[in-house]
Parts: sequence; C-alpha cells; structure tokens
Amino acid sequence: MSSTGTPIAPLIQVEGIHTFYGKSHILHGVTLHVGAGEVVGLLGRNGVGKSTTLKTIMGLVHPSQGQVLLAGQQVTDLPAHKLARLGIGYVPEDRRIFRLLTVSENLRTGLDRAGVTEARKQELLDKVFAYFPVLAERRSQAGGTLSGGEQQMLAIARAMMLEPKIILLDEPTEGLMPRMVSQIRQIVEALHGEGVAILLVEQNVPLTLAASQRVYIMEKGAVRHHAAASDLKVDDPVIRQYLGV
Amino acid sequence: MGIPWDLIIIQTVNGVVTGMILALVASGLTLIFGIMDVVNFAHGELFMLGAYMGVVVLATSGSFWLALVIAVLVVALLGAAMQIVTLRPLLGRDPLTTILATFGISLVLQNYALWQFGPVARKIQEPFTGRFNLFYLEYPYYRLLIAALSGAIIGGFWLFLKYGKYGIWIRATTQDRVMAQAMGIPVPLVHTAVFAIGAGMAAASGVLFGPLVGVNHMMGLDWVLKAFIVVVVGGMGNLGGSVLAAIFISLLEAYASIWVNPSQAVIASFIVLILTLLFRPTGLFVPTPK
Repeated sequence: MSSTGTPIAPLIQVEGIHTFYGKSHILHGVTLHVGAGEVVGLLGRNGVGKSTTLKTIMGLVHPSQGQVLLAGQQVTDLPAHKLARLGIGYVPEDRRIFRLLTVSENLRTGLDRAGVTEARKQELLDKVFAYFPVLAERRSQAGGTLSGGEQQMLAIARAMMLEPKIILLDEPTEGLMPRMVSQIRQIVEALHGEGVAILLVEQNVPLTLAASQRVYIMEKGAVRHHAAASDLKVDDPVIRQYLGV
Repeated sequence: MGIPWDLIIIQTVNGVVTGMILALVASGLTLIFGIMDVVNFAHGELFMLGAYMGVVVLATSGSFWLALVIAVLVVALLGAAMQIVTLRPLLGRDPLTTILATFGISLVLQNYALWQFGPVARKIQEPFTGRFNLFYLEYPYYRLLIAALSGAIIGGFWLFLKYGKYGIWIRATTQDRVMAQAMGIPVPLVHTAVFAIGAGMAAASGVLFGPLVGVNHMMGLDWVLKAFIVVVVGGMGNLGGSVLAAIFISLLEAYASIWVNPSQAVIASFIVLILTLLFRPTGLFVPTPK
C-alpha cells in the first residue's frame, strides 16, 4: 500500500477497525483518516465494506476491535445521536429521508438542538435554501413525494442542519441524472470551501478523483491503496485492478 | 318491523362514548407498536393500575380530577421504568421476546393488584351525577364528558405530534429509527417517553371509565383485547386509523346489540378483525399506497 502523508490535523481517525454483521466479518482492520476541511474519497467495488466503514464511524454499527477518534477524542462506543451532536453528519446511500415528514420537518430534525437560537436556525435554513432553492419551494411537501434528485438534496441539506465538522457521504450520485451529478459535485466543493470535511464513498471514479484531495481504495473489507487524488487517473492500473473500470 | 330510530340514536351515543375511551387506550398501544415494534400485552394492566390509582387518590383526597392527574403521572412513570428495565434491553431482538416479556409483566401486575386490593371490585365515584333525557333514558352527562375528554386528550396529543419539537422527534423515530439517531435524536429516550405517554393515556382511560364499571384486577383484559382489534383494523402504528377504528368497532357492537345480546354483539368485532386480516392486513384506515 502506498502512503500519502497529510499536513492537515486529523479530524477523524479510524484505526484497525473490525466490524461484524452477526457472524459475517465485514471490515478487516480498516485504517484511514480525514483531516479537518479535507475531502477524502473512498473507492471500491460493491460489497467491499465502504458503507459499513461509514456506519461504523457514525456509531450505527459498533466495531469489535479498533477505534474511532474524533479530533483526538475516543468516540468508538458512543451512540450515533451523540456523534451527530459532536459534529458528524451522515448522508446514507439510500437517502433515508423521513418520507411522511415535510421538507421543513425533515430539516427540523437536525435543527432542534440545545443551544441553537431561533436566529441561528433561520440562518441555517436560509443557507440550505440558497444552496437548494427547490427545497424552499417544496418546504411544505412530504419528503416521500420528492424526486430522487430532490430527496438527495434534502438528505444533504438535512445533514447540514447539524453544522457538522465532517459529512459522511455515501454514494450521493447513485441513480441521478448527469445534471444532478454535477450539482452534487458543486455542493461538495461548496461544503469544502466552508471548511467542512467530507468522506465521500462513490462508484463514480472521475467525480471522486476530481472532488477529493486523497483517495482510499478498499477491497475485501480492508484498505488496499491510499494516494493523493492528483496522483491517480481514471485509467490508472491501480484503479483498473481494484475497481475494474 | 319498523326501524327503531330511538334505539339507534341511543346506541350511536353509547358507541361513540365507548369508542372514544377505546381510542384513548388503543392510541397508546398503537403508538408504542409504531415506534418500537413492541406488542405491549401489559397495556390493559396499565389501564387497570390507572383505575386503581384513581380509587386510592380519590379515597384520600376526595378529588376526582386530582385522582385523574396523579394516576396519569404515576402510571406514566411506572411505564417509563418498565420500558427501561425490561424492554430497552430487548429492543431489536426477536419480537417474541418482547411479547413474552410484556405478557409476564401483565401477569405480575394483575397479581399485584389482586394481592394489594383483593378480588372485590372497587368503585370510582363520578365527579358529577347530572342526567338528561334521551328518549326513555336518563342519560348521564358524565358519559358525554368522558367522550369529550378522551377526544381532547387524543387531539392534544395529535397537535403535540404534529407541531411540537418532541412530536417531530417521535414521528421521525417512528419512520426511521436509525436515521433519527444519525440526526442527533436520542432514540432510547424517545422510546421511553413514548412508552410513558402510552401508559399515561391508558391510565387516563382507566380513571375515566372507572365510574362506569367496577375496578378490579382483571378489567384490563377486555380492553386490551378490544384495543388489539382496533390497532389491527386501524393499521398498526397508525394513530388516526386507531381512533377511527375504535369508533367504528364500538358503533358496530352497539348497533349489533340492538338485535342480539351484548356478549353476542362482540362477535361482530372479531368478524371485522378476521375480514381485515384476510383482505386488508395493513388496516382498514390506512391510505392505499400510490
């Protein structure tokens, strides 16, 4: 495995995690880190453990070995709701918006936190509505009635309500039209510009290489390769070897 | 034979009154199922404990309304403790474990009540005894008050779910427990709070219904059985559906008892239950998915 040093202080450090679903051993000692404000891609074929890595960081699955550190603090065994409040946002692969809640109510689930003033709530809402004007138009509509692309926007906007230090973004462009894909890329860049770190799981290799500073490649539940995104090309032998594209 | 309109109107009033009490019991049951996937077999015993708590506080203080408030608070706290101690550790396990656990709790609570209060039924005195003429009957105002209060409690709770911060937390958790956690919602706390609210609603119905029947350690059984029918017919986890189903089932039984005796009229509910399970197992009052 090649190594790429990072000059940025690690925000998230994942060290040697082993995760099981029942008796199935999914992650075999995954180690990676994401610096503050950094965009890091996580590539790999289907079923190699990318989504499980995100779920483990988010506290939705607890590892049997290894540790997760957030800004140097041990958070391995914390429940997901505490991690969300510590600044980890999660946008799952299948979006999982609250289908019967309106767009506004979906956003409120992340806004109604202790210590957030009404003025700050309004600022955050104004910010996401500026990013995603269509959500402002549909604010009274049930989440389940939105199109796939709109649901993806809502899922990202909802995570932004938590004012996260890092967003775990799981296959945000899956099943979206090319116009939406480029919009998602712009959002990733905008969040990066605001200093939000992103751990981006994607099948879309060109987008991942373009949007990320560094890339990890996973195979069979472990990280096999780690490089600066600028050192890799879409037709790189490493990409071909691990992703078959 | 002509249509007995007077009987039909009397039975409509009776059906709505019973339906509102049943809706109050079933609302808690369906809420608990919706959010935790727990079929709470001890729900009838929370209804019964509420009624007994009403008996005790009424005997001590002489105030029916104080008895109602204290019964709700005490049983809600008991419900919260029950959820934390027995159900929280079982969450996510085989549903059979929670069914057995709640069934066990129901037996414990029934026998506790028998030991503590004995087998003789106790009476809760209604807060007022006024009556009005309904055809040939002197109908108690208190029955109408029960329906109004039950409606007010359910309506208040609906407004809380719809507009309150914690109401949105409850709805989000009901729809997607995992994602609710990822949004920072303390899901274990929400589960406990919902169980406590459901228990409190059961206790409120126990105290309100207490003056109409004797309070005894087995009184919860009938109600929980009917509440289960309501929850299935209304759609598991569907609050609005449960209210409609409670009124529908109660009206059906009330009308049936015009022509057959009340114990035979109960069969009508079971027929509806069986037909629902056969032809629309998601519930009669659930919108058809588009």
